[in-house]
Amino acid sequence: MSTAPALSADAPPAAVDVRGLIKHYGKVEALRGVDIRIEQGEMFALLGPNGAGKTTLFSILATLRSPTSGHARVLGRDVLAERDAIRRDMGIVFQEPAIEHRLSGRDNLFLMGLLYGLTMAGARRRASEVLEQLGISDLADRRAQQLSGGQRRKLELARALVTDPRILFLDEATLGLDVDARRTFWGQVRGLADAGRTVFFTTHYMEEADVADRIALIDFGVIVALGTPRELKARLGGGIVRLTTDDDARARAWLSEHGFAPEPGGHEIMLLHADPAAVLPELLRSLPVRVERAEVHAPSLADVFLKLTGRGLEGGNKP
Amino acid sequence: MIRGVFAIVVLDLKRFWVDRARLVAGLAQPLLYLFVLGAGIGASSRMGGGDYRRFIFPGTMGLSLLFSATFAAIAIVFDRQIGFFKAVLVAPIPRPAIALGKIIAGALQSVAQGMVLLPFAPLAGASLGPLETVEMIGAMALAALTFSTIGVALACRFNSTTVFPVASNAVLMPMFFLSGGLYPLKVAPHWMQVAAHFDPVAYAIDLMRGSVLGVFYFPVPLSVGALGLTIVVLAASSVRVFNRGEDDSSLGSTRFGWIR
Repeated sequence: MSTAPALSADAPPAAVDVRGLIKHYGKVEALRGVDIRIEQGEMFALLGPNGAGKTTLFSILATLRSPTSGHARVLGRDVLAERDAIRRDMGIVFQEPAIEHRLSGRDNLFLMGLLYGLTMAGARRRASEVLEQLGISDLADRRAQQLSGGQRRKLELARALVTDPRILFLDEATLGLDVDARRTFWGQVRGLADAGRTVFFTTHYMEEADVADRIALIDFGVIVALGTPRELKARLGGGIVRLTTDDDARARAWLSEHGFAPEPGGHEIMLLHADPAAVLPELLRSLPVRVERAEVHAPSLADVFLKLTGRGLEGGNKP
Repeated sequence: MIRGVFAIVVLDLKRFWVDRARLVAGLAQPLLYLFVLGAGIGASSRMGGGDYRRFIFPGTMGLSLLFSATFAAIAIVFDRQIGFFKAVLVAPIPRPAIALGKIIAGALQSVAQGMVLLPFAPLAGASLGPLETVEMIGAMALAALTFSTIGVALACRFNSTTVFPVASNAVLMPMFFLSGGLYPLKVAPHWMQVAAHFDPVAYAIDLMRGSVLGVFYFPVPLSVGALGLTIVVLAASSVRVFNRGEDDSSLGSTRFGWIR
């Protein structure tokens, strides 16, 4: 009779448990000691510039590469010793297309089902279910090469879901898609996570990482920050106030006199502050000008990354 | 394992069916050998045109099977360059199943090509009775399986779609020319006869020729044994290459860019 249920043996294992993970490619140190723990049902983003080690970490977790040293378990299983068991429980969306574009979407899903040991009838049924679930049944019988980029990505997602995976890995899954298609895609992935699936994805688009429950920022093979999007942004110590007034020059002068530091230039006044929402009412009361428009901004993840590493996200840091 | 092999075979045959026009295009080469080369060489040989065409029909059949089987094997090299195969590689199926599935699928595609050529036999002066037809198809099946195994054993060692066709031609053309497909081995120079004993294509074509003409160069059990041995040895060697890839999911090819 255990009185400590939190420690009982049947507590679900972490979806991902990584400790001291190191990966070298020859002399290149792609991962230099990574620690991450992801609970089941979490949607987790790995955000970083190109060459930061995102794809390497992804590949190790998805059993595609072996670690040089360290500990990596997925759903409680070792990525090396219990590779096959992990593979049965995971679905992957690769960076590159991984559907046979000469075949129809339905055929692609059907074949994937066969490869995972379903019967002919079972694989056919499962293909229809997944197509239905993602709302792409009407595209299913066209050759994949006739679909748009966004539709093809949905098909990739469908392919990864054929096996009803407990954990879904996505590597830069929306590369090359326009903003609308990306938003739709992540909306669907978010839905999957809300339904209880664990999702682990890499990206270098900060606004994509925002849909995650938690985000790890990776740079030069180490995790430089880890937390919820809100926590990470809070690290910048505040936010941004934007004001438009009937006399901006006078407003700036007043702000400078009263200990604020408005950013120079621009057709509106921009102010960094520790607690912008709290300071705004006071500003509106005290400013000697009429405020026409006031806005409070949270800092973006890109701002956070810039602050932590001194570099932007888009540039990349290939040696 | 069986399910894995089955899945790979279905996958490759589905893709083959998309390209079924290939069956018709694939007729061009053997028919060219049969009716153009055959007419030219036949007229200048002691056999005479009609007899020569009948003689080389099994040879051109062998050529057709050999090339279609190798072409099917190219898919392995191509697969490495499309992402679809990655999804296959992370599926929980044993690597040997992938190798065996590829071999079987290649043999089936090759036989399909052979069946398209077979109706031209009477035009080549080789009318086959029911028994000969059954013998011929049996020989074709064994030949196709051998050639497909050769193709896969070669293809799994290459990762460049531009190098592989050249390299495979460099191996396959000598095998075909030494096989006696276009001339009787009996009257060939001694060294060629010796070389033919080490050429699986020679045994395969001899079995088919025996079904058509009723005369064999090699004893039938020797041919069947040689082909069986080739299949077992090369299939085992391909399985080994595919297995090696388990370490890095790269299908044994270390230069495969996806994985390091």
